[in-house]
Amino acid sequence: MNPDRIDWSQVWYSGPTRVFSDAELARAGDERPSRTLAVTVLINLAIIGQAVLQWAPSAITAQLTALLIGIAAAGLTQAKALWRQPTRRSLTLRTLVAAGLFVLFALGFKWRVDDPLLRGWLIGTAGVATLMLYLALWFVTVYRSHQIASRLRELDEHERALAMARQLAAAQIQPHFIFNTLAALQHWVDTGDARAAPLLTSLTGYLRATLPLFDRAQLTLGEEVDAVRRYLEVMQARLGARLHFEIAIEPPLQPLPLPPGLLLTLVENAVEHGVQPSLHGAELHLRAQRAADGQVAIDVTDSGVGLPAAVTEGLGLRNSRERLRQVFGDAAHLSLQRRPEGGTLARITLPWNPS
Amino acid sequence: MTTPFTALIADDEEAPRAQLVAALRTAWPELAIVAEAVNGVDAWDAFLEHEPAVCFLDIRMPGLNGIEVAERIGGRAQVVFVTAFGDHALAAFDAGAVDYVLKPVDSERLAQAVARVRARLERDTPAPDLQGLLKQLASQIQRPAPAEVIQAGIGREVRLIRVDEVVYFESDARYTRVVHEGGEALIRTPLKELLAQLDTQRFWQVHRSVIVNHRHIAAAVRVDENNMQLTLRDRPEKLPVSRHFQGRFRGQ
Repeated sequence: MNPDRIDWSQVWYSGPTRVFSDAELARAGDERPSRTLAVTVLINLAIIGQAVLQWAPSAITAQLTALLIGIAAAGLTQAKALWRQPTRRSLTLRTLVAAGLFVLFALGFKWRVDDPLLRGWLIGTAGVATLMLYLALWFVTVYRSHQIASRLRELDEHERALAMARQLAAAQIQPHFIFNTLAALQHWVDTGDARAAPLLTSLTGYLRATLPLFDRAQLTLGEEVDAVRRYLEVMQARLGARLHFEIAIEPPLQPLPLPPGLLLTLVENAVEHGVQPSLHGAELHLRAQRAADGQVAIDVTDSGVGLPAAVTEGLGLRNSRERLRQVFGDAAHLSLQRRPEGGTLARITLPWNPS
Repeated sequence: MTTPFTALIADDEEAPRAQLVAALRTAWPELAIVAEAVNGVDAWDAFLEHEPAVCFLDIRMPGLNGIEVAERIGGRAQVVFVTAFGDHALAAFDAGAVDYVLKPVDSERLAQAVARVRARLERDTPAPDLQGLLKQLASQIQRPAPAEVIQAGIGREVRLIRVDEVVYFESDARYTRVVHEGGEALIRTPLKELLAQLDTQRFWQVHRSVIVNHRHIAAAVRVDENNMQLTLRDRPEKLPVSRHFQGRFRGQ
C-alpha cells in the first residue's frame, strides 16, 4: 500500500480491507486469544462496572448492573465472531446494530424514567459503554487481521525456504549421476581398465567440491568452476568422444561471488539436456568475461539438441533466478536461449566491481 | 540342442553396456547377444534387423529413449529396462510390474529378472502388455518440434525440401534417398536418425529401410502370406512392407 495515498473509505467504513478466504483462515489456524487476555479483560470490566456502580445513585443499581452485564456479554460474543473472520464489513454491521440498540435504549429510558438525574446516568452509561464496545471491537478486528496476515506471510516464507532447500538437496544429490558413474567405475575396476583410476579421482574431487557447496551462502566463481571442472571430467570419462569441453575464465574474475551450485546446475543441464541426448555428441563451453560496460558475463554454451520450447522457462530456472536475486538484487540476469546454429546458451550477467 | 534365445543390448555409455554384457554371460550363458546399440535409433534399427527375443534397454539414450524404443517394439520381444536409481520412470515400473535392473547391475537382481523373462520365453508366454504405461511415460518426454525442412546438398547448392512434400525416404547404401513431389535427392543423414526427427503421425515406417508419407499411400496389397506392398498415388513404384509393420494395414 502506498502510504501517501489516502483511503477515504476508511473515514466512514473503517477496518481492515483484506478479506481472508476460508482456505487462508484454515491455513493460518484458529489460534485462540490467550486465557490471560480473557481474564484481564474480565477483571477490568468488573472494576469499571464497580466504579460506575459506586458513583451512580443507588436507586438504579439493579438496572445499571443489568445494562453493563448485557453490554459486556454482547461485546464478548461479537468480539469472538470478529476474531474468527475479521472483516470491516462484519465490524461495520455490528457497529450499526450496536448504535441502533443504543438509540432504542435511550428512547426507552427517556419514556420510562422520569427523574432526569437517573435518566442521565442510564443513557450516559449506555452511551459510553457502547463507544468503548466499538473501540474494543475495532481493536480486535484490526489486531486479528494483522495477526492472520503475518501468520500467512510467515508460512509462505517458510514454505519457500523449504522448497529452496529441497531444490538445493536435489541439486546436490544427483543419484542418477552418481550411480551411472559408479556403473562405469565398477566395470573398469572389474576389467582392470586404466580409465578407472582417473575417473575415481575426478569423482572424488567432484564430491569434495560439491558437498560443502551448499553449506555456504556464497561461493567464489573460482571455487564453483572447480566443481564444474570435476563434473565435466567425470562426464568426459563416461561419454568419451561425445563430449568436448572448454573452460575459459578470466583470472581476475576468480573471486566473484556467486550463489553456490548455480553454475554447476547450468552446466549439468547443458550436459543432460543438450549433450547427452545428442546423437553425435556436442561441445560445451564455459566462459566468464568482463564486458565493456563493466558487467560480467558468464556463458554456458552447448552445441547439443537444443531445448524443447517448454523447458526454456522452467521451474529450475525460476529457482536459479531467485537465488541470483538474493545475492545481487535485480542487477543480475539469467537467460536461456536456443542458439540459431543449434544448441543452447545460458547466460548470467551481473555487475561486479572488486574494490 | 535348440537354438539359443537372442538378445539386443542398448546403452549409450560404453562401460555400463559392457558391464551388462559381462553380467549376462554369467547369469544367462546360453543367451546369444546379437546386437549392441549405442543409442535409441540404433537400438530400433537393430531390433528390426535381428528381431531378438529379449531387449535390454537403457532409458536415457539419444535419438529415441528406451521408453520410445519399447513402445515401437510393442510386445514383439521381452523388454528389460536398465536404468540408474533416481529415474522418475521407476515408480511407474514398480506399479506396472515392468522388468528392470538398476545400474551398476547387481548379479542377484539380474538373475531374478533373467529367470522371469526366461520362464516366459520357454513357456512361449507373450511379453506383458505395457503399451498403455509406455504411452503415458512417452507422453511426458519433451522433444524438439519435428523437422519441417530437409536440407539436401546437390552439387554446389543446398536445396531445401519441405517435409510436407516428401513422398518417401529410402535407405540407399550410405545415403538416404528423399523422393519428393519435385524430384529426388540424396542426403547423408541415415534413415534411422531421420525417423527420430519426423512426425510419426504423418510419416510411417513400413520397412527397416522405408519411411513413407501416409498421404501418398494409395493401397496396401498382400502379395503372399509374408509379403505386402504399398502402391502410391501419382507414382508407379511399389514399396515393400515388412512383416513387423503389416499390422498397420488391416482394413476397417
